[in-house]
Amino acid sequence: MTKIGVYICHCGENIAGAVDIEEVKKYAETLSNVAVVRDNLFMCSDPGQELIKQDIKDGLVDRVVVAACTPRTHEPIFRAACEEAGLNKYLFEMVNIRDQDSWAHWHDKNGATEKAKKLIKSGVAKAALLEPLEESYVEVKQAAMVIGGGVAGMFAALDLADMGYKVYLVEKDPSIGGNMAKLDKTFPTNDCSACILTPIMVQVATNPNIELMTYSEVESVDGSIGNFKVKVRKKQTYVDWSKCTGCGDCVKVCPSRVPDEFNEGLGERKAIYIQFPQAAPKKAVLDVGACKECGGRKLGTPPEINEKTGNPKLAPCEKVCKTGACDRSIEWNPEGEIVEVEVGTILVATGYKVMEKKNFKEYCPESPNVITAMQFERLISATGPTEGELVKLSELPKLKKKKKKDVKLEKPKTIAFISCVGSRDVRYHTYCSKICCMYMLKEARILKEKYPDLDIYIFFIDVRTPGKDFEEYYTYCKELGIKVITGRVSGIERVPEGERLRVRAYDVDLQSPVELISDMVVLATAVEPSDGLKELARRLGINVGAEGFLKELHTKLYPVETSVAGIYICGCAQGPRDIPESVAQAKAAAAAAAVPLAQGKVKVEPLISEVDIEKCSGCGICAPLCPYAAISMEETGGKYRAKINVALCKGCGVCTAACPVKAIKLHGFTTEQIEAQIEALGGE
Amino acid sequence: MDDDLPTPVILTELEKGVIEEIKEHGGENIDRCIQCGKCAGTCPVALAGFPWFNKRLIHALGLGIREEILDVPSPWACVSCNKCTEICPRDVKPFEVIFALRRVLVEELAIPTLTMEGLRTLYEYGHAVYQTTYPETRKKVGLPEKPPTTLAYPEALKELRALLRETKLDEVGLIPME
Repeated sequence: MTKIGVYICHCGENIAGAVDIEEVKKYAETLSNVAVVRDNLFMCSDPGQELIKQDIKDGLVDRVVVAACTPRTHEPIFRAACEEAGLNKYLFEMVNIRDQDSWAHWHDKNGATEKAKKLIKSGVAKAALLEPLEESYVEVKQAAMVIGGGVAGMFAALDLADMGYKVYLVEKDPSIGGNMAKLDKTFPTNDCSACILTPIMVQVATNPNIELMTYSEVESVDGSIGNFKVKVRKKQTYVDWSKCTGCGDCVKVCPSRVPDEFNEGLGERKAIYIQFPQAAPKKAVLDVGACKECGGRKLGTPPEINEKTGNPKLAPCEKVCKTGACDRSIEWNPEGEIVEVEVGTILVATGYKVMEKKNFKEYCPESPNVITAMQFERLISATGPTEGELVKLSELPKLKKKKKKDVKLEKPKTIAFISCVGSRDVRYHTYCSKICCMYMLKEARILKEKYPDLDIYIFFIDVRTPGKDFEEYYTYCKELGIKVITGRVSGIERVPEGERLRVRAYDVDLQSPVELISDMVVLATAVEPSDGLKELARRLGINVGAEGFLKELHTKLYPVETSVAGIYICGCAQGPRDIPESVAQAKAAAAAAAVPLAQGKVKVEPLISEVDIEKCSGCGICAPLCPYAAISMEETGGKYRAKINVALCKGCGVCTAACPVKAIKLHGFTTEQIEAQIEALGGE
Repeated sequence: MDDDLPTPVILTELEKGVIEEIKEHGGENIDRCIQCGKCAGTCPVALAGFPWFNKRLIHALGLGIREEILDVPSPWACVSCNKCTEICPRDVKPFEVIFALRRVLVEELAIPTLTMEGLRTLYEYGHAVYQTTYPETRKKVGLPEKPPTTLAYPEALKELRALLRETKLDEVGLIPME
């Protein structure tokens, strides 16, 4: 006969406000196997835990049931208390009478009290059947993977590398740098983005502990904390990077032009290109879709020989390449190469993208002078299509001519900014993109300081500047003469003369409809998760929230952890945030990801499945059902039997439920234990 | 609404340099305003229902609205209670902005008839409010006909007139000051 102790938590008013604790206590005392029932204002507090420990030490109880909040945050605390007092910590059962009872039935106190009784009865029924379990340990591979090479990913990689761990930094683009590399200046200090970022890029690229895997994507992830096996696809570059020096000669001679992604489509790049001048690694990539195969030089075929000279007929890119990196004779595999690496922990920092203007029909997206703020960053950047010269976008096509003759490009005289485009909007994103108020002010400030005669109007819903030195930044912008208008723009109309725009709004403070004729309109479009984040999350087994960003394990207490042990998140992949926050979170995630590496081995919870070889018939139903590929069919004594890899098993119970002969036992959730729980719930 | 704003207001056609003008006339902190509205909540002008109370006026001036409000009565309704300046969290000194605007309006000769009358009386008698029936009333109650002010002391009135002639009033030529 077991001696169960039932400990009921008031959780301040959280539980006691809806559940009659005294009545529940009296009821719990009547349950079979229950030896002790106690309550406390906060069972998780030191005095609360002490009650449990003392009862164990006094030999009053040999099973513990705590009826309190969620096991997600508090089970480890009570298990540790049991263990300290000398009781196997798997002889503990937690009953959630807060989230599943008092919070849900706040206005039905009688109902909540009755439900608490049933839940406790059910927990006690299970506790009576609990068995002691032992934990095992697995070795941790001394390496980490960082997915995403933006500012967050780079800082995480640097910190892990500086701690002495091998880091694989996977980036989908040819270069690291991410969105920050595209920015002109950065608030609140207005330091030039490239000036502060490029040295970091160099540090990352030259750090001996960091292996750059750019132009690469994660294909699949197997294994678990300590031993992840990650398949990475290195996309085909069609240029031998071991030979490419990044001289750019091939780029100069390439005749094919396509819109430049790095310049947000404002400029053009060649079919063979280096992502941007400060790229790291600085290597050329051939975009086969845009390649014109000059002179019929198909990839993977030997060149024709010029009959007169005896020389091979080469494409311009091959001809100028001094190192032979650009060689069209090679049979390049369009699928690239799959590389498998083993790491102990994984950190996801895949960043964000901004919404495109085409979504917003009311804002005249067909006008070249309506652009997104990210495009605007490229326009005013010294590395942008105009080398930082502010011109009306409708003038851009003249740019090519400018290089031939001196064509004067018209500058805007009035610019309007519109906030919350796609954010705080139930048709697109309910969330606030958080960075827009500040970057609009920053863009306006850069302009106003450079061109004091420029008229700048910013249309806000309200100005949100919560951040160190942010409000002061805003005040300064106002004093510069930037006009701040409360009231979102309702519509934009194209004025044909001079390719201008009529902007209509309601000025809340003026209490009047207003209009302005603007040369350019900048839309602060919403921050969105990067393309393919959902798919990556699926491969990693981590969760994505309703808004599409990665979900942290706990908003406050475990903000960089995920539901999968050993996988961490940081930066805008988790939600919109600015650079200081991204870097801070990246360093936090790196520290968290280093913990298992530093420990060298991690605990494997014994709450996993086990096959009873005697009962197993070898039918094989369980193996394909396992979502973690933990079950294999192995030969023992001439017969096939299911075998579970303890490092891979997550204890989900699918195999246990599916086994037709009940040969698989899920420790901690055995069929007998669960049936006892159900029976207790169903009875009077 | 009781004001003369055209609808819509075309922002790009509004006057330039209005903020600078207000600053020159004593409203130095006008561009610190973030339109929180705290001043308007205490302003007797707003409470009395005048449309151009401190907060709205400050925003409008910031945008360059000037011509449109030259003849509105609201700025003259300010009773100089100074509460707005006492409580403003941004040190905008709304009261000073209103008075800067009044100075601008005076220069534009855009002042109400009553104010003109007051100025004229001030120059003539040394009192903004003076009625010719005053001496008789005083005599009836046994007081000297003239109170011990500029009225009784012509030298003092002379000095006051000299001071007034040193102000912008003379330059503007709003009232005859020989």
